[in-house]
Amino acid sequence: MDLELTRVDYSVTGITLPCTMELLPSSGPRLSQKVVIGDQEGVLQSFSMKKGEQQMVFKTLPGPAISRVCLGGATGTVKDKIFISKKGEVHGYTKKGKLFLGFDTCLAESIKSMYVEYLKQAVYWHVNASTLLLCGNTVYNQFRDCEDTGSFLSADTINDVIALPGEKTRSLVAVLACADGVLRVLDGVELEAQARAGAPPQGRPSTGPARSTASPVRHEVRVPRAPTALHLAANDGGAAGQNVLFGTEDGRVGLVTVTRNTPPAWRWLVDAERPGAAVSSLHCHDLSGDGDLDLIVGRDDGSVEVFATAALEPGADASQDHDVYRRFTYSCPESVSSVRGGVLGTQGYDEVVVSTYTGLVFGLTTESVDGVASMDSQSVSLSQDARRRLQLLRAELSGLEEKLAVERDRYLAAAEDSDTALSIVPHLNINHKLSLIREEAAYHLSLEAATPIDNVLVQSDVPVDILDVERNSAVVSFSDCEPESDNKVLVTFRCQMNTTRLDVRLRTVEGRAGHLRVYVTPLVAPKCAALRVLYLPPLSLHARAHHQGHGPGPDQDADENQDAADPRPYSLLSLRGPFSLAEVHAWLTACLPDLSDKPPAEPATLCFQNACMSTMLFCSYRKGEADFRSDNVSTISILKDVLSKMATSRSIHVDISCVVHPESGPHALRLMFPVLREQAALHRDLSLLDALRDLDKDALAPKFLAILESEAAIRERVKRHPTYLDRLCGMLTDLFIDHFKFRGVNVKGRVPQLLDTVYKEPLDTLLEALLRLFQEPAALSDSRV
Amino acid sequence: MAVPVFTLQLNSKILPGRVTIGKYDGSHSCLTAATTADKERLSPVLIHSPHRRLGPTSQITGATTWSQVNKEISLLSVNRNVSALAAGRLHPELEQDILVVGTQSSVLAYNVESNKDLFYKEVADGANVIVVGNLSGYENPLALVGGNCSIQGFDYKGNDPYWTVSGDNVRSLALLDYDLDGENELIVGSDDFDLRVFKEDVMVGETSETEVATILAPLRGSKMAYALANGTVGVYNKLHRVWRVKSKNRAVAVLSYDIDGDGVEELVTGWSNGKIDARNSRTGEVVFKDNFNCSIAGLADGDYRLEGRSQLICCSVDGEVRGYDSSRLGTLIEGNVHQEAVRDLLQKKQALLMELKNYESNTRSSGFTGGQNLNAGIIPAKTSLQTTVSINMGTKSKGPHVELCLTTNNETIIRAVLVFAEGIFAGETHVVHPHDEELSSTLKVALFPPRDVPLDIHIKALVGLPRTEQFHVFELTRHLPRFAMYTLITTTAPLQQEQPQNFVSFFISERIQRVILWVNQNFLLSSELEAEASGSSLSLSFTALRDGSLLNISMHPAGRVVVATPNMTLAGDLVQSLASFLNLSNLQVTAEFPQELAHLEEWLEKVSNLQEVRIQLGADLAHRAGLVRNLIVRAEDARLLPDLKSMRDWHSQLKEVNDDLINSYNIRCSNHNELLDILKQINLLIQKAARLRVGQSKADVVNLSRTALQSNNLHSLIKIVRTGEA
Repeated sequence: MDLELTRVDYSVTGITLPCTMELLPSSGPRLSQKVVIGDQEGVLQSFSMKKGEQQMVFKTLPGPAISRVCLGGATGTVKDKIFISKKGEVHGYTKKGKLFLGFDTCLAESIKSMYVEYLKQAVYWHVNASTLLLCGNTVYNQFRDCEDTGSFLSADTINDVIALPGEKTRSLVAVLACADGVLRVLDGVELEAQARAGAPPQGRPSTGPARSTASPVRHEVRVPRAPTALHLAANDGGAAGQNVLFGTEDGRVGLVTVTRNTPPAWRWLVDAERPGAAVSSLHCHDLSGDGDLDLIVGRDDGSVEVFATAALEPGADASQDHDVYRRFTYSCPESVSSVRGGVLGTQGYDEVVVSTYTGLVFGLTTESVDGVASMDSQSVSLSQDARRRLQLLRAELSGLEEKLAVERDRYLAAAEDSDTALSIVPHLNINHKLSLIREEAAYHLSLEAATPIDNVLVQSDVPVDILDVERNSAVVSFSDCEPESDNKVLVTFRCQMNTTRLDVRLRTVEGRAGHLRVYVTPLVAPKCAALRVLYLPPLSLHARAHHQGHGPGPDQDADENQDAADPRPYSLLSLRGPFSLAEVHAWLTACLPDLSDKPPAEPATLCFQNACMSTMLFCSYRKGEADFRSDNVSTISILKDVLSKMATSRSIHVDISCVVHPESGPHALRLMFPVLREQAALHRDLSLLDALRDLDKDALAPKFLAILESEAAIRERVKRHPTYLDRLCGMLTDLFIDHFKFRGVNVKGRVPQLLDTVYKEPLDTLLEALLRLFQEPAALSDSRV
Repeated sequence: MAVPVFTLQLNSKILPGRVTIGKYDGSHSCLTAATTADKERLSPVLIHSPHRRLGPTSQITGATTWSQVNKEISLLSVNRNVSALAAGRLHPELEQDILVVGTQSSVLAYNVESNKDLFYKEVADGANVIVVGNLSGYENPLALVGGNCSIQGFDYKGNDPYWTVSGDNVRSLALLDYDLDGENELIVGSDDFDLRVFKEDVMVGETSETEVATILAPLRGSKMAYALANGTVGVYNKLHRVWRVKSKNRAVAVLSYDIDGDGVEELVTGWSNGKIDARNSRTGEVVFKDNFNCSIAGLADGDYRLEGRSQLICCSVDGEVRGYDSSRLGTLIEGNVHQEAVRDLLQKKQALLMELKNYESNTRSSGFTGGQNLNAGIIPAKTSLQTTVSINMGTKSKGPHVELCLTTNNETIIRAVLVFAEGIFAGETHVVHPHDEELSSTLKVALFPPRDVPLDIHIKALVGLPRTEQFHVFELTRHLPRFAMYTLITTTAPLQQEQPQNFVSFFISERIQRVILWVNQNFLLSSELEAEASGSSLSLSFTALRDGSLLNISMHPAGRVVVATPNMTLAGDLVQSLASFLNLSNLQVTAEFPQELAHLEEWLEKVSNLQEVRIQLGADLAHRAGLVRNLIVRAEDARLLPDLKSMRDWHSQLKEVNDDLINSYNIRCSNHNELLDILKQINLLIQKAARLRVGQSKADVVNLSRTALQSNNLHSLIKIVRTGEA
């Protein structure tokens, strides 16, 4: 951490979505730049800072929410044209705020992500044709000079889109970041050719009559976690224009090199430190002025980090490892929507400009603004500037307050006016996210409001453990649940002053599905609360995964070969019956998290991994048949219960057959054993600690001395995951019962013995002892009778 | 972030809350802390003397040993778990601070400079907390020791001229000039959530908190800082709360120190998560904060740099010590003030803009009524929420309770209700979230206040139409009277009941109307009582909702009041409440509680039995210890000989004796616990008896009881409880 940056607050706008702020290029090196920012009220504004005062360049009228702001410009010119996407439209503004493009795409979906690329004559016959890449939820569209030149339906939600720089690649190559953990590299030229040939705008390789033409999907790069943000490495893709940075849902940043013919190679640059924080924005900028670009990462938990890495240098190759070190970290209490490096506040000082969800724009500047040396003349003038700025702000506030008083009176008068008058709660903008943290097998719920939150009520109709998050300052209070009500959990969080964001950790139990109701009451007048309902599926701890091995772009055949070689003992569950693909997909959506609503093309194959036990679940289904394979009998058991219930409720007759691999129980046990053993050891150490402390150290065996020495670490681990062993035991019990259930043996009576083994058996023989329990069905049933 | 002016490492684990500072040589401050047990000693007390004079005088032998590694640290063996630590001028003639160390069974006053004990006293009630200082009415400084239900004050000779009882185990003490008369009063926080103010031995003030007050610290004037077990920290001026804040962490130490150098002390708090912060004592605004890696163990205020002014010294549980003062803080605060102000203003602007937008959208959309998105949370503007508080006698599954009934005046539904009130729920809130099918415009909340205290309950009701995603929040506050859990029996036929066995009776020279007014204010009645024609007597019967017992309050026109209840605590509460309502400065009562008094006899007998057993066990222990010594020698002899067979015999005998020892130790333990329990019960009874009286009579009960207890005079004690006189 060699960089020292100081926070300077600039302005406030409406609520912003990710990637809705840009810095316009400056006219010279280290000269002040202008900010362009679009908010959810549809206002696009551009401003610069002069002596600490905000100087507005232009501001548009409100409209639909702005989902993206991109800069573009013809090759060879300055990229200072501003493109914004809102709903189904794309608007273009000059840097002065003049509208030069108003384009209604007529797309069915509203635009979620956008990228603008100008292409040169060498590729197309147009001179400097602007190409818009627009993505809705799952559909990718490309427009050249506002003319539809092809589209592609992705298998899962598209989080972000980017094009490789055309001037370098001499082609149109689009990269889609998809929620199923795949970076899809599309050949835009191919798409265009297909579109012109009249092929249906279906890009799937296996479907459609357009099999003769090559697939527009050039590569599918599988990364372990869903990518959420894309950015060209070094802002221009490197020397060959092939390097793309991607940020993932768990906060990591990777670098992928998209070459034309060989499968793209990728690797991690930055590892996650705080799970549950997705990357929302990436940028590269030389902050320290040493000629090397720094990587700036903004995440939705409010962290901004700056890294120095050799991977951004021209000619860097993704296949090589580069040193990465953290130069700076900052954590703000709101989620970061965009980060950009540049010069804004003071000429000559580089800074990171950050915009947050609530619309705050602030800088982390290299200029030193702390007043330690308050005697020299420069900082005196600075404080005069500051004083004037404060006065201006105060004047603005008092103006607003007056206006507000008038409105408030009018509101109250309206309320008393007539009997038919209605009081309408303003629409509360609550940014919520429920994501599974695989490392901890727990859910992370983050709630964010535009104004400070007063309190949050969380109600659940399934048993969940609510864990406190260290960085929360809210006072947590668990309320008693009356048995006759359906409530299993009622928790209130009373937030401290100026808290706009609340994080909650939840632990779910597989097999119990239900709803989580979250009532958020912000501190606004008139006081109101917003309800958000979140569904917890029965297989809540399963997360989307790729087939074994994340080799660069393994294709379908390789997968099947791998499956054949996969030594896991899979149990099978098959459904046959008169159901449609959409129906079975809907059932699965109710069973598993992270599935998009749209049924994929048949035959669909999905792969999930259990975050706690790392067992796999493969689902392949089509009209009339569905097959599930898992090496965890509990998973199969839950699926069987839920699916048969769903089919019955739709009164569809379904044949369910189940083949349980005899080894799958012990296999799952072996998979979970390392964690179980670790936790069991921790439990034993913990219970020894107090006793050991009373003993004479000299007489202790080295083994016990080691325990004493690591006391702090042990307590820390227990504190971080309290009752983890109990939870594992719960899973073990489920597994144990399910393992024998499929053989028609009820072993509930033997559960105490199983648990006793976990707590008492010596660690070295624990696995054997447990396996023995799993292998004696006959003896068990005898002993029960 | 603040920059400390010094940091140092004590290299020992410090017990939280047991840190003090003293000038043991009269001029140099020494940080003193209780440390966790190491292999030789049980929690030795560590004394850190950075300015220790080197020379022959400091070569001390005795109870303290100077550390070989660090020449500034000395350790004092206590051989018991230190439960409280304090330093102060206890000796009126010496210009030096005396260290007072409390354990669960003893108090030791120790002169560090001359390395000798001032006194050592066994205290049966234990020492949970100690303060040293002057108390009004006493000439010499006292070491006040708070134990289980009692407070003892020791002077430098080891005499205890001060003794009083409190409602429960004492958790915190503070000496403070409460009434600004130039002399200190004693403030006591105890396990029954109460704060009591004693002037000499008369209680002059009492208030109830929402949790146990774990720390009390005097601020300037009559102001006092307090910290509760649930993470609340705040400031009282006399018994009026100035402000309070609540955190999810627990406060470990509270101290008053002027950190920003403005001449007014700030309230410095050390938290269990390693944070320290200083708050303005008037507003609670944070002026300074810093972070340690682990929990704070204690805060102290002393001159550690010999620069003529004191520093704020913070000590964490892993032995890290940091000192702060105002010198470096000033400039740092200046630098950040501007940015903070800008951020604050921007945030305010954001909130204002948002509110403005809300009103605008409201007026806009009320233009075209109806037909809008139904999810938006629309309710008629005239919707109002009515609340009634009544007593519900309950059903089989749900006992009798106080019922809060919320009703809207139209078809809107109440989605959920959040009731914020401290001290009556497990957490601070109670939520009622009915099932989707049971949503209606009426919602009932059952409350079970566990104690008889007046309560303010804050209600937030989420009101909307069915199936909306946004709700209006109605906020209101209701007051629950102190004796809400007692319901008036209104049968017209007079209850034929036998003469009550348990009652208190007293005379007041007040009109019946005034008493009726008191009843109206303090009980939850369906309709207010009306005073009948003068000259008639008043008789009211209540049923306690908690246990169904009967409470009878009657008053003769002549002024004789009889409060009949088997619950002595309740009788005390009623007397205290009535007395404060009528502004009585002194009240003597006659109390009849035969069952309680029967207990007393039993307890006193048990105490003497237990003490006998204890002596016996002690002798037994000595005998067995001798045996052990003997057996070990023999076993060793046999080993050296080498006679393995007899060695095994000796060892098996040794094992038997050892088992016996463990057994008798366990007996001793349970014996001791039983003794403690009974002593606590006796203290409690005296306290309850005292609470039946007001003013001087109240103090008399405590003092007379003490004398009676010391002389083991049961009859006198019983007489004191009954009549308040010896």
